[in-house]
Amino acid sequence: MKRIVCIGNRYRPEDDAGPRVYSLLRGSALPDGVEAIDGGMSGLDLLASVERAERVVFVDCVSGFGRAGEVLVLDPEEVATAASPRYDHAAGLPYLLRVLPAVCDGPAPEVIIVGIEGRADGAAVAAAAELALKLARGEPVRGGAQ
Amino acid sequence: MSKLMVNVPLNRVEGDLEIRAEIVDGRVSEAWACGTLYRGFERILVGRAALDGLVITPRICGICTTAHLTAAARALDAIAGTAPPASAVAIRNVALMAEHIQSDLRHTFLMFAADLVNPAYAGEPLFEEAMRRYEPFRGETAIETIRETKKLVELLTIVGGQWPHSSFIVPGGLVSVSSPGDLLQCRLLLRRFRQWYQSRILGCAIERWAEVRSTADLDRWLEESEAHRNGDLGFCLRFMRATGLDQIGRGTGSFLSFGSLDLPGGTAVRAPAGGGQFVPAGFLAPGGGVSEFHEEKVTEHVACSWFQDDEEARHPMRGETRPYATGQESAKYSWAKAPRYEGSPAETGPLAEALIAGNPLFSDLVRGQGPNVLVRQLARLARPAELMPAMETWLSEAAQDPTFYKTPGEITEGEGVGLIHATRGALGHWVRIEQGTISHYQIVTPTAWNASPRDGGGAPGPIEQALAGTPVRDAANPVELGHVVRSFDPCLVCTVHALQRGRSAGRVIVGAL
Repeated sequence: MKRIVCIGNRYRPEDDAGPRVYSLLRGSALPDGVEAIDGGMSGLDLLASVERAERVVFVDCVSGFGRAGEVLVLDPEEVATAASPRYDHAAGLPYLLRVLPAVCDGPAPEVIIVGIEGRADGAAVAAAAELALKLARGEPVRGGAQ
Repeated sequence: MSKLMVNVPLNRVEGDLEIRAEIVDGRVSEAWACGTLYRGFERILVGRAALDGLVITPRICGICTTAHLTAAARALDAIAGTAPPASAVAIRNVALMAEHIQSDLRHTFLMFAADLVNPAYAGEPLFEEAMRRYEPFRGETAIETIRETKKLVELLTIVGGQWPHSSFIVPGGLVSVSSPGDLLQCRLLLRRFRQWYQSRILGCAIERWAEVRSTADLDRWLEESEAHRNGDLGFCLRFMRATGLDQIGRGTGSFLSFGSLDLPGGTAVRAPAGGGQFVPAGFLAPGGGVSEFHEEKVTEHVACSWFQDDEEARHPMRGETRPYATGQESAKYSWAKAPRYEGSPAETGPLAEALIAGNPLFSDLVRGQGPNVLVRQLARLARPAELMPAMETWLSEAAQDPTFYKTPGEITEGEGVGLIHATRGALGHWVRIEQGTISHYQIVTPTAWNASPRDGGGAPGPIEQALAGTPVRDAANPVELGHVVRSFDPCLVCTVHALQRGRSAGRVIVGAL
């Protein structure tokens, strides 16, 4: 199973890219073996959504990685290094990625992160959804960014 | 005399709580707890449909999400004048208790214990063992805690459809109907979790731990076996005693519980303190006995909070949320209001829960040494032992009766209060519905009680009082202040979490109270 886990807060325009990608994916027919999940604001609690998947594509808004509106593929190892050593209620994706190999039931999945820089317009959301689908299916993408 | 002002970056602790402390001759003379961001859920809710609080308030927090849902539903139950069926009450309870337990253990071993491996303790004989257990990302107990607590999250998703931010609790009961098979699965998950908690944390059966009823019993229990000493509860106890955490963090000495976990009709579970709730409501004044809780004695002050009001204090049903940022030039310094009971600040949380229920061990510990960091954290770590047996019974009882909902009718007019004891303590939702629409909504959270700023009379909040007098050996690494604050498990939550390059937290955080 390949999973696209969309993260964010749909009530905050600066953080709603993930949920909007999720809505777009839910409104279309997904390929066999690909599942879309609304990850909300969870961090560590996404563990159950990650376990037993072959590949997981996270979709989240990002800041400081590219130009406004740009859709990028991020290095999970770089994101994991951003984890605070102290788990707290704001511990998000970085904390999950940092502990994943140790806490995952079964083999840890391949992890890919699609980031949308800044506030997302409709084009960025559509591009992120398309990129996430390609990556989930294992298709090559150009240069890691759209 | 040396005088120093320290800003403790407690976004390391939780979200947007900042602590400022004045240190005079190596000791905190005064402290200020500052909630740094405004959220305004109360204003968001006004004008929306009567049931919208069931969807919106669980999003106040990604950790206490079932707690807010439960409080919102109870307020609507009260307005509708409905009593949910016994099985619905049982499953509401189980969900709330599962949320408590996963939070209690994650807080203890992923947050609080991270301070036990602070370099300040490198010379302690137990330091190396603490590193083996609690080192972030790799400590044995830290990793096991993540692995095991996910069983509780799984339980929550079975009964609630999702976690966090579920809306499965509604006035009249539940909208999700758990089959006997679902509930059997929950029992198996809980049983496996209990086995781990007993072997890893307690080092004994829950029944043996329940026999520990005094400080002397605790000392005897600790010496009784290697398993007790080396379980994480025993180890933390030894580490905290060795490092003097039983000597700091006294606080107000007053404790508050709104009460929680109604006993379902016909249940075999008995409340430890008697009465109709597993967690009793009550107020414990410094040096006094437990008095009956009266909801009308709750007020909120905003003299030192960035809110505007022409009255010194208001009951939440008359409360207002009018943001009024003055900057640093006035007495106001926090986005948290200052809740008071009978005009006084009060501590809430697992220790308050234990003391108001008359738990003999914690009553004896506090009688002997007063409240402190150790006893506060011990109450949190031992709470799952109180909760799990009742959870097992309620899961079994709910499987016998599949009635989870009784229609409350349309909710168009009225006032209601939803009070519970959430993971971090007293939580209340005060709601008024007019013509089917929310006309008033006030939320008073546990962290508002504990991290309250000063009130109109200048009385500091519980964390502020607990910090006063704390010795600080190294102002550049004020680990003692972190212990005191974290022993209250403050929860200021996240709503925005963009990944940010170069930021250790990996999130932009909007704080909440």
